[in-house]
Amino acid sequence: MSTSNQRETGEMKHLSDQELMAIVQAGDNSPASEIYDRYSGRIYNFAFRFLRNAEAAEDATQEAFIKMLKYSNQYNGTAKLTTWLFSITANLCRDYLRKADNRPKDSDDVLITLPGPDELSPDRSFEQRENEQRVQRALAVLTAEQREAVVLSRYQGLSYAEIAQIAGCSEGAVKTRVFRAMETMKRALMGEASGGDRCLNVVQ
Amino acid sequence: MSECSAVREGMPLLLTESLDANRRELTHQHIESCGLCSAEWEAYRETWAIMGDLPEVAVPAQVKEAFLQKAGIAPKQADNVVPFRRPPAFKWIAQAAAVVILAGGSYFLGDRNADRIQTMPATLNNVTASPFNTVSHQEPMSIAETRVLDADAISPEFEGRPNISNVQIIDGDASDDKVVISFDISSKWTVTGSPNDKSIVRLSSYMIENEETVTPRANAIEWVRRTYSDPANANPEIATAWARQLNNDSHEGARIRAVENLTNLPPAVATPTRDALITALQNDPNPAVRMKAVEALANLVRSGAVLDKTTVDTLRRKAMQQDENQYVRVKAAEALSNIKP
Repeated sequence: MSTSNQRETGEMKHLSDQELMAIVQAGDNSPASEIYDRYSGRIYNFAFRFLRNAEAAEDATQEAFIKMLKYSNQYNGTAKLTTWLFSITANLCRDYLRKADNRPKDSDDVLITLPGPDELSPDRSFEQRENEQRVQRALAVLTAEQREAVVLSRYQGLSYAEIAQIAGCSEGAVKTRVFRAMETMKRALMGEASGGDRCLNVVQ
Repeated sequence: MSECSAVREGMPLLLTESLDANRRELTHQHIESCGLCSAEWEAYRETWAIMGDLPEVAVPAQVKEAFLQKAGIAPKQADNVVPFRRPPAFKWIAQAAAVVILAGGSYFLGDRNADRIQTMPATLNNVTASPFNTVSHQEPMSIAETRVLDADAISPEFEGRPNISNVQIIDGDASDDKVVISFDISSKWTVTGSPNDKSIVRLSSYMIENEETVTPRANAIEWVRRTYSDPANANPEIATAWARQLNNDSHEGARIRAVENLTNLPPAVATPTRDALITALQNDPNPAVRMKAVEALANLVRSGAVLDKTTVDTLRRKAMQQDENQYVRVKAAEALSNIKP
């Protein structure tokens, strides 16, 4: 019994995403743990950056994998599993943000939900921790659509075509969102020759 | 729209290599010839780099537990773990022993030179009289030893609710009344030393490479990371342990964390760091890990590190469309552009 279970777990590590999903689609949820181990890190980090709230990101991550099992038959084996998982997660995050009670009212709310620099990464240099906070604040200023696009592009390395699929919009729209987001990020992080201080004040 | 406006509009897209080849070329030409746009481009590049200072966040363990529970999948427990149950009559002894163990942190510490394991008297008096049970040996002790003992060498009282696993029962000769029981049993050790003591370094390396079994995992790993990023504690064995985690761990989150940890190590242990990063850049199937690795290599170059020919060749191949991920290609090109001839 024990050997059999261990072998099954070991074998799953060598299966492709498509093979694991085929098992799930056949009604056997035993690959769930392996799929979770492979992608929960990326899914959680995406949700955390998108929502700026650890608790909500935990809920979104958990719910995304539940939906993956529940709606496994909707998964098209030719697509990347990550793209599908990001789509599910993005939908959950958008639903969360749509609920008026959960929407941060201003940047002060954001600061409440974000971990402090020492709390998040105590071993990093002072400069890195400072930058970390500045980036968190700057991301908070973006619209949800811009933040979704820039987080998937910058932190998950997805192509604009993949982001368009996840966001349910055209590639052109993704380019515009990333452009606007980067403009805002640049102003917030670098300041500008004219008005740089003003921009920084907006996000602090 | 002036040429400068058009070029600036394309800059965010240039960062992610999303411009078509013709427009990319024109944009670069303009940036080289226009001082204002050149400054603007530098600002974008720096913004992009600062954005990279957001570290990966670890998924809290309870999320997986909740997911598996909600999905109706019980977390798998090792099948060969036999929970140890105390007879009710010994409950009070065990409670007292638990206090002793929690306070002193020394469980099952026997003198291996003694003929028999000495049982620790489990009374509350021990707590006040001697909260810490320390042992001092002339010869170094092994903390992972194998013992073969006769039954009468072991006290029948098991204290501290140890976990027993990997149990084998062999009754070799049915005609006699002898049986052999073999098992692994958890024990509690408390080791005091400096981060530079070889045994502490080795324990730390073991924790890194076996973090699945380390409890509490996060604190232990965090301590190793913080302690050995201090130049005073630079140790190639720790760098090698992170490197092995980067190149061998099956979980991408752990590999990404390993890149971050390697990047924070002091320059004195740069060789295993660089080798592991280049291996990850060449072979890691996950683009997020390759992104982190190429960023770390680019940072090494920026800080003045000299890269060997293999590393430079790998960066060149990655920059020249070999990597499927555009960001990896851009960062590889950036690292190459910073290498001094």
